Amino acid sequence: MLYNRKDLKLLKDEIEFIDTAVIPFSSMDMDSRAPVHAGNLELLQIVSVQLEKQFKGRLLITPPLMTVEEDTVLLESYKEQLLAYGFKKIVVLTHIQKDLGAMDRIRLNEIPLENMSDDMKMEMVNDEVKSAMKSIISIWNR
Amino acid sequence: MSQKVTRRQFLNYSLMGVGSFMAAGAILPMGRFALDPLFQGEAQGSMITTSVKTEEITEEPVKVDFSYEQQDAWYTSEVTDFVWVYRDGDNLIALSPICKHLGCTVTWAGDDANPDKFFCPCHNGLYEKNGKNIPGTPPRGPLDQYEVGDSDGFITIGEMFENELV
Repeated sequence: MLYNRKDLKLLKDEIEFIDTAVIPFSSMDMDSRAPVHAGNLELLQIVSVQLEKQFKGRLLITPPLMTVEEDTVLLESYKEQLLAYGFKKIVVLTHIQKDLGAMDRIRLNEIPLENMSDDMKMEMVNDEVKSAMKSIISIWNR
Repeated sequence: MSQKVTRRQFLNYSLMGVGSFMAAGAILPMGRFALDPLFQGEAQGSMITTSVKTEEITEEPVKVDFSYEQQDAWYTSEVTDFVWVYRDGDNLIALSPICKHLGCTVTWAGDDANPDKFFCPCHNGLYEKNGKNIPGTPPRGPLDQYEVGDSDGFITIGEMFENELV
């Protein structure tokens, strides 16, 4: 499910089945690493769309949550909201390495996509999607 | 025997010649435009040709990708979806991979305990090979079917419709 009117209406009735919220979490610092963050954000978005396609009926992909200086205060309060709404599992999909406490985190690789041929790009992204899918399934099976 | 052509005759002939060329130049394109819908009709409906060869399809369902343009208000994008295609006697069957429960993607033989069924990883939904949902699992209906055909040896995919095999 995505964060849009149609899906959210359905979500309210099916919250017992849609028990997992995935938060794409990314940096938007305007510093010397800005191009890297931009590339990471792009990959993050591609991977979250693919995840949604595969696991539509059990995931809510929230809009990407952006941060500066790896601040996680907003993430914490968003997590509390999602738990209060009825989600059982909160997964953070991110490149950020900082410790996130008790939250499940799927860490993506930093891939310089702009320097690759289209075939290579597809392959790299598909690998990321596959490993993210495996992580989510293992979180479900726990 | 030489026939005299008068100046008047010569001018008449040449004006008629040039005039008919000009008229043809205007009328032919108009005629082509008017007849165009007839030529369009011969094109192959709305079937989308894929890159999978028909002869490669066996009784084991395989993924067949197909791409189409999707218009979403002011934004047009190319979307790639896939269907599960298998052979049933002389017929080809194409099933939608969208779970009828909440819309996850189902896989063939995705569950080790059920190697001959479609499996939905989200809530352990199961379907028979013909798309029939197995009672006791969450899905409430059978998988949708797609029109499927063959064009020069390649699989073509058409419209989706409700499962008619069950």
